[in-house]
Amino acid sequence: MTTLLILLPMAAALLVWLLPLNHISAGSLALLAALAEIGVWIQMLARFDFGEGGLQFSQSWAWFDDLGVSYHVGVYGFSVWLIGMTSVVLAASIAYAFWAGRERSRAYMGLMLFLTGAIVGVFAAQDLLLFYAFFEAMLIPLYVLIGVWGGPGRMAATLKFVIYTMAGSLLMLAAVIAYGLSEGTFDLVKIGASSSDWIFLGFVVAFAIKAPLFPLHGWLPDAYRESSPEVAAVLSGVVSKAAAYGFLRIAVTKFPQPAQDFRVPILTLAAIGLVYGSLLAFRSPDLRGVIAYSSLAQMGLITMGVFAVNDLGLDGSVLQMVNHGLISATLFLLAGMIERRTLTGELGRLGGMARGRPALATMLMTTGVIALAVPLSSAFAGEFLILAGVFRHGWGWSVVGAVAIVLAAMYMLRLISAVLHRDVGSAVSDSALDLRPAELGVTVPLIACLLALSVWPAAITQHSFRGDRAQEDVAAEFR
Amino acid sequence: MVWGAWICLLSPLLSALLITLAGGSISRRTAGYAATISCFVAFAGALTAFIGLLGRDAEDRSVTSTAWTWLSAGSYRSGLEVLIDPLSTFMMLIVAGVGALIVAYSIGYMDGDDEERRYFAYMSLFVFSMLLLVQGGNLLLLLAGWGMVGLSSYLLIGFWHERPSAIAAAKKAFVMNAIGDATMALAFFLLIKEGNSLEFGILGGEFSSTTANLVALGLLGGAIAKSAQLPLHTWLPDAMEGPTPVSALIHAATMVTAGVYLIVRTHAIFEQAPTIADIAAGLGAATLLFAGLIALVQVDIKRVIAYSTMSQIGYMFLAAGIGSYGNSMFHLMTHAFFKALLFMAAGIVIHALAAEQDIRKMGGLRQLMPRVYWAFLIGALALVGIPPFAGFFSKDPIIAAALDAGSYGYVLWVAGLAGAFLTGVYTFRLLFLVFWGEPSPFVREHFHALKRDVPGLSMLSTVAVLAVLSAFGGWLQFTPFWEPVDTWLDPVAESLVNPSNTQELVTSILAVLLGAGGITVAWLMYGARRVAVPRFELAQRTLEHKFYVDELYDAAFYRPAVWTAHALRRWVEGPVIAETGRDLGDETRDVGGLVARLQTGLLRTYALAIASSVAVLAIVFVAVR
Repeated sequence: MTTLLILLPMAAALLVWLLPLNHISAGSLALLAALAEIGVWIQMLARFDFGEGGLQFSQSWAWFDDLGVSYHVGVYGFSVWLIGMTSVVLAASIAYAFWAGRERSRAYMGLMLFLTGAIVGVFAAQDLLLFYAFFEAMLIPLYVLIGVWGGPGRMAATLKFVIYTMAGSLLMLAAVIAYGLSEGTFDLVKIGASSSDWIFLGFVVAFAIKAPLFPLHGWLPDAYRESSPEVAAVLSGVVSKAAAYGFLRIAVTKFPQPAQDFRVPILTLAAIGLVYGSLLAFRSPDLRGVIAYSSLAQMGLITMGVFAVNDLGLDGSVLQMVNHGLISATLFLLAGMIERRTLTGELGRLGGMARGRPALATMLMTTGVIALAVPLSSAFAGEFLILAGVFRHGWGWSVVGAVAIVLAAMYMLRLISAVLHRDVGSAVSDSALDLRPAELGVTVPLIACLLALSVWPAAITQHSFRGDRAQEDVAAEFR
Repeated sequence: MVWGAWICLLSPLLSALLITLAGGSISRRTAGYAATISCFVAFAGALTAFIGLLGRDAEDRSVTSTAWTWLSAGSYRSGLEVLIDPLSTFMMLIVAGVGALIVAYSIGYMDGDDEERRYFAYMSLFVFSMLLLVQGGNLLLLLAGWGMVGLSSYLLIGFWHERPSAIAAAKKAFVMNAIGDATMALAFFLLIKEGNSLEFGILGGEFSSTTANLVALGLLGGAIAKSAQLPLHTWLPDAMEGPTPVSALIHAATMVTAGVYLIVRTHAIFEQAPTIADIAAGLGAATLLFAGLIALVQVDIKRVIAYSTMSQIGYMFLAAGIGSYGNSMFHLMTHAFFKALLFMAAGIVIHALAAEQDIRKMGGLRQLMPRVYWAFLIGALALVGIPPFAGFFSKDPIIAAALDAGSYGYVLWVAGLAGAFLTGVYTFRLLFLVFWGEPSPFVREHFHALKRDVPGLSMLSTVAVLAVLSAFGGWLQFTPFWEPVDTWLDPVAESLVNPSNTQELVTSILAVLLGAGGITVAWLMYGARRVAVPRFELAQRTLEHKFYVDELYDAAFYRPAVWTAHALRRWVEGPVIAETGRDLGDETRDVGGLVARLQTGLLRTYALAIASSVAVLAIVFVAVR
């Protein structure tokens, strides 16, 4: 079933590329495949034995036997939730791309589907080389999606993105090979814990670039600004989680000693990123800038939770990965919908859009207040657990987190007001309509997921690690 | 009983969801009815819970009902649960009861606003949030309700979102409350670290004095932010930008008193941290004087009442801080009655004068709207604490209780009495300026009476009910003769102070005399106009600028935040982070260019390269061997 989840979108991608379809049938096929992916995931969710926990639906075939490399995939409780978030966000993004209409739609849809398969592969791979292969496979469609379909500054944005991620990938490849060869196997389940600082740092830097963590986020503002809204949604919502997943699955699990030794510097960088991102989001002049820098801040927060390495922090960060994936994707899609109507994302030229556009106002307001982690929302639950977890390593981390929560309220309310409230902005004309049914069809399911999680955040926190004992599960390397 | 509590909690939520989902398919009036009915249903639910508790023994009056585990991590878990005990039912009755009256009043007040549906959805959401706050069965849910009332308050203050001032006020309220939420969350993190639980019961456990002090301090931070006490009070006067019923419900009767509820609910930790409890009482006393002084010079009818609210909550904080929990909660109840009454009567005035709120333009309304005048007068007398109106029964015991709180208590006692005098002055200044004298030219031009239709009657009838409650609601308890409220709350929070009967008597006499004295002063200056209003330029200006606290915060916090953000953008993000990426790009391209130049396409260079490489390799091999 895990393999099906990876292959289904990839096969659909091939079909879309090969068959001579027009843009409507290509889009329908892609959307159908994305929805089928969600269907398969629901099957998996229903059949996953959360009481048992551990690795399930695992499939393994030898690949390079003598090196101990194999095609080994499977899912843990937390990977189930990340895969679910991936399939939902990707389906929404594909649906939006279909509705908005992209040139050369066969190529575009194929790339989006391929991306889906690759990301699911990252979350399911249980072999280091396979993990690396999926990680790379995930980046290649993104290069093309930003470089070909992006905005006016796409070339510079792509170049930066490529250079940063390539540097990260090379480090990761070196770390993978060094780790695998020294342990005699590449199998993530079998491979023993290592205490090598260098290999650990190789992985951490690679993931920190992808997340991104301060100060390695140089590629972020341009990439999030220049790509089409649905690609930005996937990039900030889902792809960044591959890095957070790497921190959880590899960095803290396989390198317990280095993770402890480097905890303070890593938490420091994460905390700086959290405040730094929040401050820049607060003064960002445009919609995408606010969301992009808030994403930087959120990744800092999630990283703090993972490196707290205790029940509260780990549970909280898994919950927050899913939350932020949904929130960030919804916000970028909404930003795209607003930009379609006003041809600008500049906050100074927007305003007054609530009047006469109740659907847009309700959607943006709901997502915005969840994003700023209003208590009772699932984002609040996630952030609360993370900060409670990191509190055990020193109250200072949580104080910084609490300051950032106040800043989050400031930047999110600024965004909401700048778009919806006060005088009608110069770029907003009366012909800018309320959200169309198709756009509602894209955003409502995402927000419904967030509301459902707000009613029952324990759905994720109780069902991510064996017996809801995250710390023990990580200490046992998920075996 | 359990069902009653759940119905009480969920019926306003259901109404909020239905109104949102129905959108344009229901009429504006229907939305108003739906919200009103849901609040009355909630009140009925609260009543059944109350009656259910009455039937039990005093020590047996605490029931928790858990729906499911809301959040968990390892061995820590918090359920989605409601707590039904004397304190929570007391608050449920006030919130749902006063809430229902104010929502019904809104049908009239908001009539004709083209976004009435959104208004009633928000109001329902608020009532749900407030009920969650008081019914939540553990600290985490309390915090959830705490944040949700902040959200609904934000939505309602900024309801008229085309007004920049309304939006600014809404954001300010939300952010200041977020600061309080953050300090509460920090206190909770400490509790989780020490006891791995957020049940109310854990607060009674044994903590080191540092832990107890820090937890209490964090909770106090949340309480003063929500209840607009010094120094986190600046958002409340600005919050008057919202529609008047919102001010009545959220910024007078219910939400702003949540801080008092919090202290009473978590009194166990405050009793372990007496210093922090003293700070709470001291802040309350300071606020009641501070706000009373500012109220003397305000010219906006709603802002005067808002400062009065701050001042009255100061009394409640004072009582909660010294451990006089029953009196604190009783004053919370009567204050909900008479302050909602004052706001709603003021709302009718504003409504009748085409949305004018400046009291300098008003006057002579007694002749034009006598019934509203009488209602306002009852509210004013109750506020000042003139017997037999409600405030007399609830405020005087608070001041008296201070006498039993050691030497520190005498300071609080003097502050409380001085506050009583100020209350008399500012309340009747307002009353005389608005209702007495001859109708001003402005009033003559703009006045229009309420019609006797559904909107008009909904406003007048609810004001009448609250007038009756303000007049007679205080008779529920007359310390020290009969004290059913104290007795009812004893199982949850037993009072720590017990003033003697003499102390009660002396305090009451003094407080009433001072209140009456304040009224007389106001009458001399504003009613009969026999004495000119004294003018002290400096004092006047300081009070009009509200002691320059807003300016101070702007300079101390907001501007530095903006400046830091700009500095980071200008000197870090731009030159360092973004340029690094660009430089990397340029370098790579340059190196690529150099490498590309090697591809000359000329056979001879390639041959030379191959030959020299082979030569180098051969030498290396030979040398290594």
